[in-house]
Amino acid sequence: MAALQDILQEFHRIAASPQELLKSYLGQGKKVVVCSPVYSPEEIIHSMGLLPFGTWGADMEIREAKAYFPAFICSIMQSILELGIKGAFQGVSAIVVPSLCDSLKCLGQNWKYAVPGIEFIPMTYPQNRNTDYGKEFTKAGYQRVIKDLERITGETFEDGKLHKSIEIYNAHNQAMREFSEYAGNYGAITAADRNAVFKSAYFMEKSEHTALVNQLVDALKATEPGKTKKLRVVTSGILADAKELLAILEDNSIQIVADDMAQESRQYRVDCPPAGTALDSLAGKFAAMGNCSVLYDVNKGRASYITELVQEKRAEGVIYVLTKFCDPEEFDYVIVKKACEEKNIPLLQIEVDRQMVNYEQVRTAVQTFSEMLG
Amino acid sequence: MGEEGKPKYVPDPNSAKAKLGNIAKQHYDNLWVAKEKGEMIGWCASNFPQEIFQTLGLTVCYPENQAAAIAARGGGGRLCEVAEGEGYSNDICAYARISIAYSQVKDIEEQNMPQPDYLLCCNNICNCMIKWYENLAEELNIPMILIDIPFNPDYKVSKEEIAYVKGQFLDAIRQLEEITGKRWSDEKFKEIMKISNRTSKAWLKATSFCKYSPSPLNGFDLMNHMAVAVCARGTLEAAEAFELLAREYEESVKNGTSTFRAEEKHRIMFEGIACWPHLRFTATQLKSRGINLVATIYADAFGFIYDDFDGLIEAYCNVPNAINLEHARDKRIALVRNNNVEGMLVHVNRSCKLWSGFMYEMSRQIAEECSVPLSTFDGDQADPRNFSEAQYETRVQALTEIMEANKGVR
Ligand code: SF4
Ligand code: SF4
Repeated sequence: MAALQDILQEFHRIAASPQELLKSYLGQGKKVVVCSPVYSPEEIIHSMGLLPFGTWGADMEIREAKAYFPAFICSIMQSILELGIKGAFQGVSAIVVPSLCDSLKCLGQNWKYAVPGIEFIPMTYPQNRNTDYGKEFTKAGYQRVIKDLERITGETFEDGKLHKSIEIYNAHNQAMREFSEYAGNYGAITAADRNAVFKSAYFMEKSEHTALVNQLVDALKATEPGKTKKLRVVTSGILADAKELLAILEDNSIQIVADDMAQESRQYRVDCPPAGTALDSLAGKFAAMGNCSVLYDVNKGRASYITELVQEKRAEGVIYVLTKFCDPEEFDYVIVKKACEEKNIPLLQIEVDRQMVNYEQVRTAVQTFSEMLG
Repeated sequence: MGEEGKPKYVPDPNSAKAKLGNIAKQHYDNLWVAKEKGEMIGWCASNFPQEIFQTLGLTVCYPENQAAAIAARGGGGRLCEVAEGEGYSNDICAYARISIAYSQVKDIEEQNMPQPDYLLCCNNICNCMIKWYENLAEELNIPMILIDIPFNPDYKVSKEEIAYVKGQFLDAIRQLEEITGKRWSDEKFKEIMKISNRTSKAWLKATSFCKYSPSPLNGFDLMNHMAVAVCARGTLEAAEAFELLAREYEESVKNGTSTFRAEEKHRIMFEGIACWPHLRFTATQLKSRGINLVATIYADAFGFIYDDFDGLIEAYCNVPNAINLEHARDKRIALVRNNNVEGMLVHVNRSCKLWSGFMYEMSRQIAEECSVPLSTFDGDQADPRNFSEAQYETRVQALTEIMEANKGVR
């Protein structure tokens, strides 16, 4: 069995080199489709023999995208567009963008003119999703994606193949949930390690990623968790990806025992349920999803989801990582904060941005928080 | 407020302006009467299909209208700060901040409104709306109904979208019957659809007079009258008042008069919501240069014309913020052409991510297609802190100079 550190290294290597990986995939003659946040129907793309390649932007300076987005649009959207304009996705077949927030709606519109070489495929989801008419509309959205993919790539869609891909994705979900469970209890798994495992999933074919994650979990199972004095924390937000932020968490002895991050566990909570056709099954998954700022949540189930997660994992506090200018998360924050106050759960909000260079404020805030918990 | 010693300006009570003003005022008065009678009050998104609750005979009010009124009367900053004190980021739409703050403060001098018993949300203008209403529902512990009308990436509304919205429509009616105990009537629905169409036609007719040179109206009037187009579309009074307004404009064209009280030297399209806290400044800067606002997408925003139920749904799917760049662009190009627009002034509105998020590209395309100059400025519809007089003045001046130069060439 490969040593734990070797496997982790592999995840770090993959997570750190999306550009190189993309080049090599294209070099091997693979057809790649870029998937934008928050929920692109990767299963469909996968089933058509195409490689879904996720992007959540990158930490970088924004220049060209400024001609399209005003400064008050989140840096995830800005940096995805910037990467597109700069040619980072050159050679891919298309980009799929689900319009689940106002900024995402605008990304697709700008993309058409800013990156004319890569076709934009919209995925329109319903918000009243768990109804018959909602599921029908989700399916209509999928069918639209399929039609565009067939036209652009020449590949064809078959329900039977989607069924197989769904099995692969369900297995991947399971592996990611198991990883999160173990990672939370092993002090040796740092915030950066955790990030690398989640992030690398976007750049790999899923059955390959599952195999690697399972190896990692096996390696963890073979070692003792060990007693750790680290602080048990739940993270929530869109993404916690900046190197500096992850290092600050580690420096302050913070162990992420569970997360409610859009880029991480929110992707893997719900499996595709059995249904008449594979497409129905996929629509059933979207219908069952929730506890997320971009999915209509009239009872704000997300707030109690977080406090229950804290109790279940015996966490000592919550870090709410707010992506600047993300209004869905800004609204939810107030309700999550109140829910935590009611349950006496310490909560720290830190604001991050993909263009941020100075993390001193974040460092001080995390330090104070960890001293308070410690 | 009238100044000391100076009589307050009172418009002719038989004028459309007075009638529209009355409807707006009456709207708020009626709310209090209904509240006192023990009726349930709904808070409602501006583009929620009003045909639903008009048919059911429900009393609703509009947080966006209220927020605009509060901002125009100087209370925007104060209420935004109340919301920020609760933990709301100052990056959130100022209408939402003001409204959420009001739901907690409950009594202010600028514009009061009864507290809600239920919420009617429709996100055809933005998804921010969903979050705003979710938070109200949670904080006030009241039911919320959402009619989800997704942003349409295609030019035309698909039959799948119509079916989806129709399903929600029927559910919303059922839920509302349960919440309020009122009953749906198909007869009444037909009647309401008729009146709404009549109002919308009159509104569109009135706004169409902007095409005359000089225009019989100061385009800022439309931003004020819009409040009635929002809150009383399904009423006969509104239909009649807008018809009167259209007749008045027709007269003005004949007589060569205008509510734009300056010589109309330039004609522009104004993009975006007005900066309510700085309305006087922004309007004066234009007027003093002889610039009249003769086109705004607002005019279209509340003209819902349809023949039947499907058509009604389609109209709500086609509101300006729900349509793709090409569709939105072409509507504006038509406005520029029909109204002889000579320049575009674009409000990049800090509050409104959707409205501003692809505005740069769309404006460029319109300006190029119509060969008109384009100037943008940063502002906010309701948070007074996000606006700079100096920047606005510079941008307006730059636009004026190009329009003047263009005239010289012609
Ligand atoms: S959900 Fe938030 S972070 Fe994600 S694209 Fe929308 S605004 Fe940006
Ligand atoms: S201003 Fe924009 S974000 Fe705010 S409610 Fe209106 S459409 Fe939505």
